[in-house]
Amino acid sequence: MVESRWRTGLGYAVLVLFLVLILLPFYWMVVTSFKPTGEVAAYPPTAWPVHWTLEHYRNAFLRYGFGVYLRNSVIVTCLTTLFVVMLSSMAGFAIARLPVRGKTPVLIFLLIISMFPAIAIVTPLYMFMRALGWLNSYQALIVPYTAFNLPFAIWIMRNYFLQVPGVLLEAAKMDGASVWQTFLRIFLPLTTPGIFTTAVFTFVAAWTEFFMALVFNASKTMRTIPVGIGLFSDQYNVPYGDIFAGSVLSILPIVVLVAAFRKWIVSGLTAGAVKG
Amino acid sequence: MPYAAGAEGQPDVSGRIRVRRHRTHQDGDRRAGYLMLLPSAVVVAGVTVFPILYSVWMSFHDVHLTVNGYDMRFTGLANYGTLVHSSAFWHSAWFTTYYAVVTVFAELILGMLIALAIYRVQRLKNLSLVVMLIPWSLITVVSAQMWSYIYNGVYGVLNAILQALHLIQAPVTWPGTSTGAVLSMMVADIWKTTPFVVIILLGGLQMIPAEYHEAAVMDGAGPWTVFWKVTFPLLRSSIALAAVFRILQAFGVFDLPFVLTGGGPGNATTSLAVLGEQALFQNLHFGVGAAVAVSTVLMVLTLSLIFLSAFRALVEEGA
Repeated sequence: MVESRWRTGLGYAVLVLFLVLILLPFYWMVVTSFKPTGEVAAYPPTAWPVHWTLEHYRNAFLRYGFGVYLRNSVIVTCLTTLFVVMLSSMAGFAIARLPVRGKTPVLIFLLIISMFPAIAIVTPLYMFMRALGWLNSYQALIVPYTAFNLPFAIWIMRNYFLQVPGVLLEAAKMDGASVWQTFLRIFLPLTTPGIFTTAVFTFVAAWTEFFMALVFNASKTMRTIPVGIGLFSDQYNVPYGDIFAGSVLSILPIVVLVAAFRKWIVSGLTAGAVKG
Repeated sequence: MPYAAGAEGQPDVSGRIRVRRHRTHQDGDRRAGYLMLLPSAVVVAGVTVFPILYSVWMSFHDVHLTVNGYDMRFTGLANYGTLVHSSAFWHSAWFTTYYAVVTVFAELILGMLIALAIYRVQRLKNLSLVVMLIPWSLITVVSAQMWSYIYNGVYGVLNAILQALHLIQAPVTWPGTSTGAVLSMMVADIWKTTPFVVIILLGGLQMIPAEYHEAAVMDGAGPWTVFWKVTFPLLRSSIALAAVFRILQAFGVFDLPFVLTGGGPGNATTSLAVLGEQALFQNLHFGVGAAVAVSTVLMVLTLSLIFLSAFRALVEEGA
């Protein structure tokens, strides 16, 4: 058993080193956002702020209009999440429990397509949107985000619906319920964890997307947070303090979400492996 | 109206007796099913499948924006000809492939090591999972800004640490040289996405029945043998999933070079996505941009297939 204990010790060492390496850069960003501008550019840097300040947080809102980016991100992300949850639960139910043809191969095909690099579709989408007058609008992001996140969401929902016994559908029908009633009243409530998983995944994906947001919505009033933070710098200086203040703010909703739904995120990540 | 339906139970014009109950039952379910699939199908087909096909079509045309639309002139393979003769394109293709292969391998190896450590230790599992979700859910642009500050040549903390350890004499601007820029990007990418690989591999590890390991140990297998003969083959679907996910993502890398290196120095870190974006939105060469997009998709599919077949061979050899 000496060898076994030795190996557990090695496991601890690897794990602790890994956690420290993940946290250190993150720590660095957070403390920097509270340092005065002079200290942000000090060398050698200070490990802990000598003077604390909120000036960067003030700058983020007043000088860079972070409030506008925040509003845009919240609107785009929440509506995308809502649409994806609604559409994917219907489609996932149909694929898992209703007699529609050619379902799983088509879904896998779409899943692969949805993982293609965004560069594959931005050119035509940009031209269509320009022709429709959609550039710099909320739908310019909500529609593609919904489309790109749907296949994975449907996949997750399908796996959750498969875990609900199919006899429930027959039993409900015997009692005279329609397919839609059965879906809404019986199946949907039983797949709440799947809905959470789907929602969290979609939220994070939409919240962090940069490429399409940069290409479709570059005007100052329509930028989302990633575009805003990506374009904080001007030609002459990179205001790291202000950038990190915005960054820390951009993380808060995600931290809350991740902490609350950790269990479902992990089960969602492994869902593909489970059923695949 | 030769097929007009008769009343229920009566022979209709074609002489068949309608069996109403059976038909509405199955047809009703099927109709509801298609109705439930319809909105998703319309959105996904319209916004992903159709644009990809349209990209292919555009790549054979010379495309110009007009006042409120665009016009296209067929030019055959001219856009691809431009790419084939462009050293910038070949450089991007090489860099992107190299970048994807190196980072995905590093992430798989590190991810496996860490997943095994978490599995072994068990105690810190919940804490580890929460910590790992931080890089995963971080906006890539934010992590790129974070790393650019860490790598900074004037006040970057990386230099301070390396100087304190006497590993370097004077501060270095890490993304300033070609090799440095590529390495800086890789480290930032590995930091951000290894946790994702760990979570998938850990999920796979937890589904391997403990008896398998115990039986192998009983038979006198050492840890190395247990890993290669038991764990690795049973993890193959998780590994393949993580790898393909990551290859597809790494091939589309855009945010990181856009913020961290601007594709430079020179074009050292100009990925295919950055090149495509420049062709499209800086030079307005829409046809060429579409050709870059189509080439990227073909390359990423090829790379994924090569990986999967090599991986299958490896697993069969190990098992």
